Amino acid sequence: MLVYAIRRVLQLPIVLFVVSVVIVGLLQFLPPTARAAAYVKSEQQLAHIDEIIKQYNLDAPFYVQYWTWLKNALKGNLGFSRVDKKPVLEAIATRLPVSAELVLYAFLPTLLFSIWLGTLAAIHRDRFLDQLIRVLAVVFWSLPTFVLGIALVAVVYGYLKLFGIGRLPPDLIIQLAQQANAGEFRYYTGLLSLDGLLNGRLDVTLAALKHLVLPTITLILVLGAQIVRVMRSSMLDELGKDYVRTARAKGLPEKVVHYKHARRNALIPVITLAGLMFAFMLNGVVITETIFNLPGLGQWAAAAAVQLDQPSILGFALFTALIVALANIAVDVLYALVDPRIRYE
Amino acid sequence: MAEATLLKPRRESFWRSRAWRRFRRNPLAIVGTLIVLFFMLVAIFAPALTADRMGRSCLRDLGVKRTEAVRVLRNPLSPKFWQATLHPPASCYKIPRKGYSPIPKHPSKKYPLGLSGGGYDILYGLIWGARSAFYVGILVIGVALLIGILIGGLTGYLGGWVDHALMRFTDAVYAFPGLVLVMVAVTIFGRSLTTIMLAIAIVSWPTYARMLRGNILKVKAQDFVDAARALGAGPLRIFFKHVLPNAIGPLIILASLDIGSIVLSVAALSFLGLGPEIGFADWGQMVNFARNWIVGPPGEPLKYWYTWVWPGLAIALFVLGWNLLGDAVRDALDPRS
Repeated sequence: MLVYAIRRVLQLPIVLFVVSVVIVGLLQFLPPTARAAAYVKSEQQLAHIDEIIKQYNLDAPFYVQYWTWLKNALKGNLGFSRVDKKPVLEAIATRLPVSAELVLYAFLPTLLFSIWLGTLAAIHRDRFLDQLIRVLAVVFWSLPTFVLGIALVAVVYGYLKLFGIGRLPPDLIIQLAQQANAGEFRYYTGLLSLDGLLNGRLDVTLAALKHLVLPTITLILVLGAQIVRVMRSSMLDELGKDYVRTARAKGLPEKVVHYKHARRNALIPVITLAGLMFAFMLNGVVITETIFNLPGLGQWAAAAAVQLDQPSILGFALFTALIVALANIAVDVLYALVDPRIRYE
Repeated sequence: MAEATLLKPRRESFWRSRAWRRFRRNPLAIVGTLIVLFFMLVAIFAPALTADRMGRSCLRDLGVKRTEAVRVLRNPLSPKFWQATLHPPASCYKIPRKGYSPIPKHPSKKYPLGLSGGGYDILYGLIWGARSAFYVGILVIGVALLIGILIGGLTGYLGGWVDHALMRFTDAVYAFPGLVLVMVAVTIFGRSLTTIMLAIAIVSWPTYARMLRGNILKVKAQDFVDAARALGAGPLRIFFKHVLPNAIGPLIILASLDIGSIVLSVAALSFLGLGPEIGFADWGQMVNFARNWIVGPPGEPLKYWYTWVWPGLAIALFVLGWNLLGDAVRDALDPRS
């Protein structure tokens, strides 16, 4: 098991290699000057664009170009993000905690909540509760993330004046920046709700949480709806199997049959979906961060795509590939842990 | 003659099939069908519905004067009606503007749903948005199906290392978040409707390829394929005459039900500002126009609600209709239930 996990992690570079070849390959559709723009930091450098093309071999054959790109990438030079006006890697590092915080708060509740509802619907099959959950699931599944997000901004934030958008209230941002400069506030993790606690600043934690409520709810509702549907049908499949009949025939209470027998098996497809959901979350984060004005990776990527900022988008794509590959490994390992029938060689 | 008909396998009529009975008795299926039908009618008759509010260039390209537009375009006996309905010029997909004020205008008699920021007529955008939604959905599904059938057919029928290599490739595309791939495509090939339609087709085919592969493997194992081979049919003939036609049916039905989710992806991209050119009748873009007006001025937070509620509702209903329909069809075709 451990050997398998380690081998899968060792395969990661191959995945990243393939993705990067595709990405650098796609860049060949652009003229060399456009490719050079990835390494331009200021307008003064535009005059020396030919030198940049020479330096990064941007007019050389593809394999030379890729080799130069790879050497630079391994040194941590993925180009310069025009949107953030800093190197791509640095931009990812500063923005990652914002997205991580959002995903962290959305992921587990989505999973638990929808497993619970899906089980409930399956147990009460075709009765009122099931119909209700099914209708709600299909409605929220159909609701576009951005429409739900905008409705929440307009009604809950605008009209009811609850919660907040952005990451923190503006005055607190300025205050924190000053205190961070003076060394009075330290960013241990980058997750504001956690750093607030670590610094003994409950007000920061509370403000950060308050600003995360709406985007988290948006993600939970849209993504949860899909998992409820999978959980329900998987649970129904299990409830129709022979071992469930046997368990009932033995006289076991319904609760034990549902929760100890059927649900454990019904969770297996949900694990796959949870892994895929990680990828869906990256999609969702692009839109929720844009709507709720959270300065995370998603907002960065959306802005970069609008401004045709290639290095940022390519950095984001590489990063996404890494996350997706890691999530897939996690899914496979979890699979084996949950289902003893699965053995990896 | 009578003997010949007796020898033919009896084919169950669709109207008496279990699947249709199950579908008909499902109330959600009826709701979904009605929603989709409603949008279809709006899309087909968009020119007639908007004859009184068409833009100047659309009328010019149709060759109709503004004064006679309502009379001509709403009269099924006039050739212009059919021209506008069957093949409207591209300029008709542009939302006409009344003034260029960045501030939205409240609903009025002439513009019953109001004008969004930039003076775009919301009602016109909604109606032609239905048409562009079908246009985009059908085209994207078509391209995705073509790729899916090609790859799924190759892997399923040939098997061996071709199958192995192509399926790994399919898995890789399937696992990657679609939106990110489309964003990469837009930054490299530029922002246009064609780019995003192609990009979405390129990320959506893996489902179809997998489904077709599974169906082909099932059909390939059946006796009539062996019979055909015994009769001396070549591999190409067997594939195109026997295997593919029997494996492709459910795929096409299920794929066409994905129009809703395709339109949802396009709407999300347009909302981010990565969709078709500005002014194209597209619901996602209309929500994008409303972005600065979601929260109104202090004291009137919901002042400009009409700028985002109508297009948002249109997308949500459209997708809901297709999803209800899709669920019902899948349930009805599912032999287990």
